[in-house]
Amino acid sequence: MVGTPVLFIAIPLLAAFLIPLLGMIWKESVRIVPGLVLMYLMVLAVSLMGHVAHNGPIIEIIAGWAPPIGINLVFNAFTGFLVTLIIFMGLLVWLYSYRFKSNVEYEPARKYFILLMMLVTGSTGVVLTGDIFNLFVFIEITSISAYALTAFYTGRDSAEASFKYVMMGSLASTMLLIAIMLIYSQLGTLNMADVASKIHLMDPTLKAISFILFVVALGVEAEIFPLNGWAPDAYAEAPGPVGAAFAGIVVKAMLYALIRFTYTIFDLSGAFNLLIIIGLLTLVIAEVAAIRQDKLKRMLAYSSIGQMGLVMVAFGIGTREGVFAALFIMLNHAIIKPLLFFSGSYLVYHSKKKYISDIDGMGKLAPFTSLLFALGAFAIVGLPPFAGFWSKLSFLVAAADNDMVLIIALILAVSIVEIVYYMRVVNRIFFFKRTTGLLARRPTFNAYIVMSVLGIIVLMIGFFPDTVTGYIQAAADSLFDKTQYIHSVLTASIQ
Amino acid sequence: MLTLILVIFLGGAILTWLGRKINPLLGDLLFLVSVILPATMFVMNIKVGDTIAQHTLLGIDLVWGLSPLAHLFSLVVVGLGVMLSIYSISYMRGKEKVGMYYFSFILSIMAMLGILVSRDWISFFIFWEIMTWSSYLMVILNGKKVQSIGIKYFVFSALGAYSMLMALVIINSQLGSFMLSDTFNNFQHLSPANQILIPVLLLVAFGVKSAVMPLHIWAPDAYSNSPMGYTAVFSGALSKMGVYGLVLVIISMTTQLPAGSLIRIIVAWLGGFTAAAATLWAITQDDGKKLLAWSSIGQLGYIVTGVAIGTPLAMLAAMFLVVVHALFKGSLFMAVGAIEKQTGTTDFKEVNGLIRKMPVTFISSLLSIIALAGIPPLAGFVSKWMLYEALIQNHNYLLVVLLFFASTAAFLYAYKFLHGYFLGQEEPEWAHVKEAPMSMTIPMLLLALTTFVLGTWPQLLFNSIDSAMQYLGYDATNGKLWTDSVLFSQWGDKVALQPVLYAIIAVFLFFAIFLYFKGRKATRYVTTKDISTSGEIPKEWENLTFKVNFMQPFERAIEPFLKRQIEKYYLGFGKGMEALFDFTRRIYTGNGQTYAIYAIVFLALLLIFRVSLFG
Repeated sequence: MVGTPVLFIAIPLLAAFLIPLLGMIWKESVRIVPGLVLMYLMVLAVSLMGHVAHNGPIIEIIAGWAPPIGINLVFNAFTGFLVTLIIFMGLLVWLYSYRFKSNVEYEPARKYFILLMMLVTGSTGVVLTGDIFNLFVFIEITSISAYALTAFYTGRDSAEASFKYVMMGSLASTMLLIAIMLIYSQLGTLNMADVASKIHLMDPTLKAISFILFVVALGVEAEIFPLNGWAPDAYAEAPGPVGAAFAGIVVKAMLYALIRFTYTIFDLSGAFNLLIIIGLLTLVIAEVAAIRQDKLKRMLAYSSIGQMGLVMVAFGIGTREGVFAALFIMLNHAIIKPLLFFSGSYLVYHSKKKYISDIDGMGKLAPFTSLLFALGAFAIVGLPPFAGFWSKLSFLVAAADNDMVLIIALILAVSIVEIVYYMRVVNRIFFFKRTTGLLARRPTFNAYIVMSVLGIIVLMIGFFPDTVTGYIQAAADSLFDKTQYIHSVLTASIQ
Repeated sequence: MLTLILVIFLGGAILTWLGRKINPLLGDLLFLVSVILPATMFVMNIKVGDTIAQHTLLGIDLVWGLSPLAHLFSLVVVGLGVMLSIYSISYMRGKEKVGMYYFSFILSIMAMLGILVSRDWISFFIFWEIMTWSSYLMVILNGKKVQSIGIKYFVFSALGAYSMLMALVIINSQLGSFMLSDTFNNFQHLSPANQILIPVLLLVAFGVKSAVMPLHIWAPDAYSNSPMGYTAVFSGALSKMGVYGLVLVIISMTTQLPAGSLIRIIVAWLGGFTAAAATLWAITQDDGKKLLAWSSIGQLGYIVTGVAIGTPLAMLAAMFLVVVHALFKGSLFMAVGAIEKQTGTTDFKEVNGLIRKMPVTFISSLLSIIALAGIPPLAGFVSKWMLYEALIQNHNYLLVVLLFFASTAAFLYAYKFLHGYFLGQEEPEWAHVKEAPMSMTIPMLLLALTTFVLGTWPQLLFNSIDSAMQYLGYDATNGKLWTDSVLFSQWGDKVALQPVLYAIIAVFLFFAIFLYFKGRKATRYVTTKDISTSGEIPKEWENLTFKVNFMQPFERAIEPFLKRQIEKYYLGFGKGMEALFDFTRRIYTGNGQTYAIYAIVFLALLLIFRVSLFG
C-alpha cells in the first residue's frame, strides 16, 4: 500500500493551503502542484482498489477513537469506485484547465486551483466518511468552493447565479442540520454504521421526517427537481471546466450521500418508490426543458440533471441489477458529460452569448473538437456502439425484470426528446453553413489530450464494456451488503 | 471469420475516411476495397448454419450465424452494396463531404449484414442502431433542410428502435434469454398481455423502417434528400431490413396467437393502403427523386401485404419482390443520379429528351420501369402475378382490387418518369449533356438486366426462397413451392406465358426497327421554342415543356384525398409538444425566491404525504 484513505482528504486540503505560499516562491507551482497531488491520489486510489478487491474493505480510524465514538473512513469497493472516479475527473479537469487564465494576471489562477483542490477534498470526504456530522462538514466544504467557483467570472450574471446557489445551499444545510439533530436526539450516535444498526429503535414518524429532510437537503445539491433551480444558471455562468467538475464530481458525491442514506442507514420501504418518483420527475422536466434552450451550456446542464434523474430511478429499482445500472450510468455520465462540456466550450469559445446557433458549420473550422462533441452526443443518447448504450441497456433490463413497463416506455419517450436536442446541435455543427464570422478557438495541447482520452474511453467502453463492469459489479455488491458494512465498521479496531 | 469481416468493414470505414483526407484517390481506392473485399469474403465463406461466431459482452451472449432467410436478404445487401460502391466513386466525384459519404456507406453495409447474421436481439439492436445513424448521416449529407428532414427521420427511427428495445427487454425478463430462436420457440410462455404487446411493439419498430402507413412520413424526404448513390441502397436494401423483421414477427410470432390473424389482416390492409396512397402521391411529383421515393414506399406496401397474408404463395411473391424491387429501384435511383450528375437537376419540367444523349441510362431505366410496372416478361410481373393470385386464393378480393388499382395507377408515374427525362423535345440547354461514365452506367445496366433474367428464369431465386420459407416453418415442398401458382411450369423454371410474350415482343421489335430505319431521314428534332407549328411566339422564360401540369386533371380528381396528409397531424402533434415543453421550461423562472419556495413546498408535500410514502 502506498498510503491510507485519509490521504484523499488530507493531501488536497494541505495543497489548497500551500498553493498560495508556494505561489509566492514560484508562480508556476500554482498550476503544477494540484496536478502532482491528483496524480498521486490517482495512483493511491488505484492501488487501494486493488487492495480492497483482495482483502476486503479498509476502515480507517481517525484520532485513535474507535467507532462508534470516533470518526472513521470507509474505503470499500463502492466508495473506492466513486473516489477513483472523482479523482480521475479532477485530474482531467486540472489537465484541461492547466493553462487556465494564464494570459491574464496571476490572481484568478491561484484562486481557481485552490478552489478546485477544496472541491476534490470535500467530494472525496463526502464519499469516504463514515460519520454523518463529518458528512455535513464535507458537504459544506464542497458547496462553498462550488459557490465560489460559480461566481468566478466576477460579473453580474455569475454573481446572481452564485447567489441563487448559496441561497438554496444554505436552505439545504439548515435542513441537513435539523435532520442530523433528530437522529442524534433519538439514537445518541452519528456513526453511520451504528445508526444503521440502531435505526429500528427510532420513532417511525421522526425517522420518516428526518429521512425527508435528508432527501430535500441532499436533493438540492444533487440537482433533484424541484430543488435544482440553481443548477442551470450555475453551469451556464461558471467557467467551462467547472461545469464539467460539477457534473463529474460534485453531483456524484452528493448523490452518493443520498444513496447511502437510502440503502444503508434508513430502512424505510417506501424510500425506493420516492427515489423513482423524484427521479422520473427530474428526468422528464429536465429533458423537456433542455429541448427549449438556446444556449449550449444550459442545454448540457439540463441534460446533466436529466441523467441524474435517470440514475435516481435506477437506484430506486432497488435490486442489484438496478444499482449496477445506476453506477454504470454514473460512470458513463462522468466521462461523456465532461467530454461534451470541454469540446462544447471550445466550440462556443468566441461567442459572447454562447448561443447554440453560433456553432453553425463549426465542423469545418474545428474538425477534431466537433468530432469529439458528436461522439459525446451519440454516446450520451445511448446509440450503440458507444458507451451510453450499455448503461441504458442494463438499466432497461433491470427495470423490465421488475415489470416496470410504463416506466420503461416513459423513459424511452424522454430519450427521443434527448435525441432531438442533441442531434439538432450535431446537425448545426456539421451540416449548416457558417453564418457568423466567429473563428474557432484552437484547443490547447492539454485540452486535446484530455478530450482524446475521454473519447477513447467512450469508444473503449462501447466496444469492450466488460473492462469496467467488474468494478461496477463489485461496487454494487458492496453497496447492497449492508450487514457487512455495519459489521466491518463496528468491529474495526485501531491498528 | 464473420467477426473478421465485420472488423474489416469497420476498420475500412475509418481508414477510408482518413485516406480521403490524405488523398482523394487513395480514399476512392480504400472505399472500393473495404466494400468489395469483405463483401466477397462474406459471400464466399459464410455459409448458412447455426452459429458462426459468439461473443459475450456484459454477460449477454452475442451469437452470430446465417439463417436461410437472412441469406436471401444478404444477397440483396451484398449485391446492391458492391454495385453502388462502384457507382458511388464517379457519382461523388467533385462533391462535398465525400469522406463522410464513404464512411456512412461502408458502415451501413456492415450494419445491414450485421442485422442479418444476428441470432440474438442485442446484436440485432446494436446493428440496427448503427444502420440508423449511418443512414441518418446520409440523409442530411447535402445540408438541405437538415433540421426538418433529418430530425423527422431520426425521431421516427428512434420511435421504432425504442419500441424494439422495450420489446426485447420484456422478452428477456419473461423468457430469460435474448436469443431470437428462444423468443419464437417459447413465445407461448409469455403472459397473454405480452403476447400481444411484443408483436405490436416489434411491428411498430419494423413498420417504421419498411415505411408502412402511418409510419412512413419520414421516407419520401429521407429518400429524396440522400445522395442518389446511397438512396438505391436505402430504398433497395435498408428498407428491406424492416421487411426482414416483419417476416420474423408475423410468421414466427403472430401465427402462434389466436388474435394473430386479426393483426395480420390489419397489417395487410395497411400495406395495401400504403401501396395505393403512395402511388397516388408518386404520380403528383415533379421531381424524379421524390417520385421514386414515393414509388418505393408503394412497392414496400405490396411486400408488406404479401408478408402479412402469409400463405406460401404470398410469401413467395413477397420474397421475390424484395429481391426484384432492390434490383429495379436500385437501377432507377442510379439513373436519376446519373441524370443529376450530368445535367445538375432532376426536375421533369427542366430536363427533356435525354434519350439520344444518355442511351444506356435510358435502356436501363426502360427495363427497370417495365419491371416496376409489372409488365411481362420482366421480373416485376412474376412477383405481382403471384401476389394477386395468392390474395385471390385467400379470398381477399377487396385487397386485390386495392392493389390492382395501385399497380394500374403506377403506370401513370412509370410513364411520367420515362417520358419526363428521356422523351419529348430536345432543348438547346441540354445539348452539352453526355452519357454518364462507364462506372455509373454499367452497374445500372447490370441490375436492370438481372430483372430480365429473373423474369425469364425465376427458378434462380426459388431455391433460396424455398429454403428460407422452410426455415420459417412452411411445409417442406421438395422444391415444388411454385406449383401453387398457375404461372409457372411444373419445374418452376419457366413462366407459362413466355412463348406468347416473346412472339409479341419480337413483332414489336421488328416493327420498331422497321419504323426507325424508315423514318430516320424524315425525323426533325424540334425544341419547345420552335414556333413552326403554332401562331404564337413564346417568351424566352416560358416553360413550354409539356410536363408542366402534366397530370392536372388527375391531380384535380384526387385532390380531396391529397388534402388529408398524415404528416400534418404529426407536425401538429410535434408543435403541440414543443409548446408544452416551452410551458414546462418556464418552471425554471430564473428567480431565486421562486426556487426557494419550490424547495419549501416540496418539503411540505413530502411531510404531508409521509404516511402514504413510508407507511
